[in-house]
Amino acid sequence: MPSQRVTSRPGRSALTEAQLIQRACGGDGSAIRSLYERYAPRVYAVVRRIAGDDDLAQDYAQEAWIRAIRALPTFRGDARFSTWLHRIAVNAALQALRRSDTRRKREAPMPETLPVAPRIGDSLLEQRLEAAMDALPPGMREVLILHDVEGYTHEEIGDALGVASGTSKSQLFKARARMRTLLQGIDGTDTGQGAEAWSI
Amino acid sequence: MEHLTLETLSRLVGEAPDAAERRHLAECAECRAELEALTEQTLALGRLPEIRPPLGDWTILEARLASEGLARPDRDFLGMARTPAWMKVAATILLFLGGTGLGMTLAPRSPFSGPSATPGGPDTPYSFTASSVSTLPEAEAAVRLAERRYMDALVQYRQLLDTEGGSARGTTPESRLAALEYLVAAGQAALEQAPADPVINGFLASALAERQATRQATLRQVGSADDWY
Repeated sequence: MPSQRVTSRPGRSALTEAQLIQRACGGDGSAIRSLYERYAPRVYAVVRRIAGDDDLAQDYAQEAWIRAIRALPTFRGDARFSTWLHRIAVNAALQALRRSDTRRKREAPMPETLPVAPRIGDSLLEQRLEAAMDALPPGMREVLILHDVEGYTHEEIGDALGVASGTSKSQLFKARARMRTLLQGIDGTDTGQGAEAWSI
Repeated sequence: MEHLTLETLSRLVGEAPDAAERRHLAECAECRAELEALTEQTLALGRLPEIRPPLGDWTILEARLASEGLARPDRDFLGMARTPAWMKVAATILLFLGGTGLGMTLAPRSPFSGPSATPGGPDTPYSFTASSVSTLPEAEAAVRLAERRYMDALVQYRQLLDTEGGSARGTTPESRLAALEYLVAAGQAALEQAPADPVINGFLASALAERQATRQATLRQVGSADDWY
């Protein structure tokens, strides 16, 4: 089990991550909050991208945390806590997405142009990428996020999605190509400019 | 010359081209540029930052964890340790303004003749005007009465908002909850400095009551969207 030192509260003694996990197992709200504060942005980022929607993302993230805290006694430290938590978040989001009607809705024909809703702090490039990912069909989006954003291998993606690794590969290539087309649609002037279009 | 497809170029982002693809790329500037753009796109995806959850997310989670028996409430959460300095200042100003407003309510130039008030308990009739407030017990009674009136007005305000469908205008429950958390934290901190201060006690009681009501409303919303797990 990793023993990175994290400070749970200013003015309080620092606790190791292992100590925080141990306390969280016992239902210590303060320890759970410390773990939440440390990892919430990472959990939220992956579920937000898989969900492709802000409203769903919060529900999915909450579900991921509930599952993680519930499963905390089974965490043995074989992997890093962050990796373990990340897997739970990915699985929770994928399962939730499959149970929701949004999958069917999202497989509707893609729009010609994409509205890019700016969020404070996001760079223009990030906004364009997030908007294009949101517009991908769920299957492509999941593979693209897990591979290109989160760094999963095709074997790991195959396990998570219940598909062959070859399917994951072909979906990835389609997703990258679709992203490219979508981003050109967002830019409007990008066609044929190649890498120059990426200089913000 | 037939260009490489976008899917083929996508594959070449991470895999080596075969002989034919290599030859084509050597001759075709357009496909090389497209491959470069796809490579940049892929690298940019790997650099996307983490995303902070919305305000109030922890509060909702904390309530859910508690309701499922997975966590005891985080008592220290009410402390000011992690409240940003600017938020403390804002809350302090708000407390000051609230106190000032209450003071103005009780000021001599605004004759205060409320219904029955209570110097020592809720059941003892007590009538006064602001000009009659000359002792500490009378002042405390006046403050308690003002608090009660404020709470009554707040209840009526919420009822009117509910009946007119305006409760959500311009504010999400999450953002309201987050703002109330800060107010509660500010009230707690202020109370540590002046534990017996009736104004601060009244303010904190109001903030706690509002927070509880908002939490319940938020949880009802969350519950309605929970059918997927």
